[in-house]
Amino acid sequence: MKRFAATMTVVSLLAACGGVDDNGGTPTTPGNVLPISIGTSSVCVTINELCTSVTICQPGTGNCQTVPDVLVDIGSVGLRVFGSVLSTPLQQTMDVQGHAVGECTFFADGTSTWGPVQMADVVLGGSPAVRVPIQVIVPTFGGQSVSSNPCNDTVDAAPDEANLNGILGIGLFRQDCGAVCAVNTNNTLYFSCNGGSCAGTTVPLTDQVQNPVWLLPSGNNGVVLTLPNVPASGSPALSGSLVLGIDPSASTTPPAAVLPTDDGGFVTTLYKARTFTQSLLDSGSNGLFFPDASLVSCAMPLNGFYCPSSAVNLSGTIIGANSRQTTVPFQVANTESLVATDNAAFNNLGGDLSTFNWGLPFFLGRTVFIGIEGQSSSLGTGPFYAF
Amino acid sequence: MVIGLGTFALLWLMVPAGLTPAWAALGQSVATIEQDRVMMKGQRQSRSGAGYSIDTIIVAGMQIKEYVSPDGVVFAVVWRGTGVPDLRMLLGEYFDEYRAGLTASRHRTPRVREPFRMKSDRLVIERAGHSRSLWGRAYLPTGVPSGLRPEDIQ
Repeated sequence: MKRFAATMTVVSLLAACGGVDDNGGTPTTPGNVLPISIGTSSVCVTINELCTSVTICQPGTGNCQTVPDVLVDIGSVGLRVFGSVLSTPLQQTMDVQGHAVGECTFFADGTSTWGPVQMADVVLGGSPAVRVPIQVIVPTFGGQSVSSNPCNDTVDAAPDEANLNGILGIGLFRQDCGAVCAVNTNNTLYFSCNGGSCAGTTVPLTDQVQNPVWLLPSGNNGVVLTLPNVPASGSPALSGSLVLGIDPSASTTPPAAVLPTDDGGFVTTLYKARTFTQSLLDSGSNGLFFPDASLVSCAMPLNGFYCPSSAVNLSGTIIGANSRQTTVPFQVANTESLVATDNAAFNNLGGDLSTFNWGLPFFLGRTVFIGIEGQSSSLGTGPFYAF
Repeated sequence: MVIGLGTFALLWLMVPAGLTPAWAALGQSVATIEQDRVMMKGQRQSRSGAGYSIDTIIVAGMQIKEYVSPDGVVFAVVWRGTGVPDLRMLLGEYFDEYRAGLTASRHRTPRVREPFRMKSDRLVIERAGHSRSLWGRAYLPTGVPSGLRPEDIQ
């Protein structure tokens, strides 16, 4: 979808919601829409890094702050914010023994975050606040440190190193862990911290870090991401919309394909006669990642990305758990040439991985619906992707 | 590294100061798998493939597969699940190399946010997936039996 088409979609939603102010026609942002952007921030400076702002309040009070530069991530679940950018006191959650609960969160890029699980009132766009456990990223929480902690890893230390103030995980699931963490102390995610040491603990579903969207009083069945497309050489900046709630109105274009995922949130991708059963869509990874020995890899430090001498036209077929399938054409260009443009958004950035990860380039020029597990909508019951 | 003693305390005694603890799996004897299982308090099952066998440890929403060559060496480990197993334990002597790879990955310019991948002639490690379904794998390219394609280590 081109930039103009994306604008039309937003206008249509505005009309459907009656989002017009009293002064005669100037549209206002309806309550269920968050502006999202790439290349407009001094914190979210990574290529294809899609960010938004989130308002966080001390529970039950009007003591709130807006945190900008929060990654929009449909590959994770739950809101995570660096403690160093929070001036608002939140409420620590405790386990059954009365000890503070901390969490390790692992991301596909090999990074991890550590810090306490705290209750916050979270405001997304103009929607009502929802009370939800979030992770406050504090490497020293519970007597731990950046290099020595229950994640067995070097955890993210600060916003300027992570290139974000937080991560808004609005993926396919309600909680970030689910039943496993409610019954197993050795789940590797949740820890009970007391006297400078932390041990694995169980956490009931309601106390787990979770997707704030499914707790909304309405529009709680998923999200819709709409982003404009970019030229083949990329774009320095772009903006789009994140809509809360996935029921397309009569005036919006319904998705051509609804692809339910398996229990793990995976779909299958068929690419060059190979089948990848652990495929996913992920707005939080910045390229299209898949294996193709015929594509030349870049030299250091961009090794792992593809550097064909000229752009290559390719396509993959995404197959849902319902066997419904749709073919997605895409292009992979020379990553070194793309990076040399100093642009921030690219639709043709690709790299090597042993499965198929449809990252941010997939979302450019598309409207993508993400249905949350167990939540019903006119498109079906989640978890599903639709576009 | 000598393996096969039963208790945690004895194992520690066997390890000279500064070396990797002895329950590491990758590159080690098949006997280390049982140490891994005990450390993880998991359940273990085995099956044979053509020219190799796979030991699977199931624990707390995670599945850890350890690929064993005919001469009894673990040449690949694959993990998947809601959490991430103790990679210091699973990667053993390769853990420091993995940590160095992670550090290099997060400090490279331009900064990119991609599934983690390090690849050399002696070691391949990947991490991917998303919340609820994280996965990763590590293998020693020179240790993979000829009948097994690296892409089938999953």
